[in-house]
Amino acid sequence: MNGFESKWQRLTTAARQAPETRDAVAPYGFATRIAARALGDERPARTAMFARISVRALWVACLLTLVSVATNYLAFASSEDDEQNLIDPVSDVLNAS
Amino acid sequence: MADETFDIAACLERVRQRDQIAARELVDHLYPLVIRIVRSHLPRRVAEEDLAQEVFLKMFTRLDQYKGAVAFTHWVSRIAVTTCIDQLRAQKRRPEFRWADLSEKETDVLDSVLTSDSEVPANDALAAHELVTKLLGQLKPADRLVVQLLDLDQRSVAEISELTGWNPSLVKVRAFRARGKLKKLFEELERKERS
Repeated sequence: MNGFESKWQRLTTAARQAPETRDAVAPYGFATRIAARALGDERPARTAMFARISVRALWVACLLTLVSVATNYLAFASSEDDEQNLIDPVSDVLNAS
Repeated sequence: MADETFDIAACLERVRQRDQIAARELVDHLYPLVIRIVRSHLPRRVAEEDLAQEVFLKMFTRLDQYKGAVAFTHWVSRIAVTTCIDQLRAQKRRPEFRWADLSEKETDVLDSVLTSDSEVPANDALAAHELVTKLLGQLKPADRLVVQLLDLDQRSVAEISELTGWNPSLVKVRAFRARGKLKKLFEELERKERS
């Protein structure tokens, strides 16, 4: 591998001498963007938790509504029949006179 | 590093208290180190700024894991190297090395290396660097990283082992395998040069 080693070494030695022409300073706004993304993670987490709780609350509310409608439906249905048998004191008085 | 007087420990303490100004200062301070590593191991079609951003976000995410056993800059370098290698591995295909894709300067440098024993002229350093990058692009990501760190960054096997988390034997095996592949590539190029 000696022939190759010598050639590779000459090539890499030359490559190491290549000047770095590109800027090594962070572009404008880069650090601010990273800091905001890295340290701003807490708020979305709280929002996500709130959203989760809200969705659960919505399901519970829907369930309660259905239960209450079902329960009261029987009451409404039976009240319609009862309405016909209601005691009407005014008509009783009128009929009596 | 740009600012030798920068107090990393104090800055980290402030970052842990979620001080955004401290986080910005830390990014600005570490940027030259990170961008140098990113540029050395940048996969094709990946923007260096995007990769640097990924490194910094990983650094902040894992900050709680940093216990101070090694220098912070070393810890960040390791994150940068492993992030780069993950990106290189994600690249499924490696471009084929073709004479036709080389610039005139790069062809001259390759000619000079293959046919003579003289050193490459200093004013061809940029072309030599480009040529080495293209040749390294033919290697497997892990092998490329090892050769890059050994021959261009002039790191020792122990340093590479620390940076990558691979044991020294594995680093040596990868270097050997990479050199073998590069040797074959050189032989093919020499054959084409003669024909």
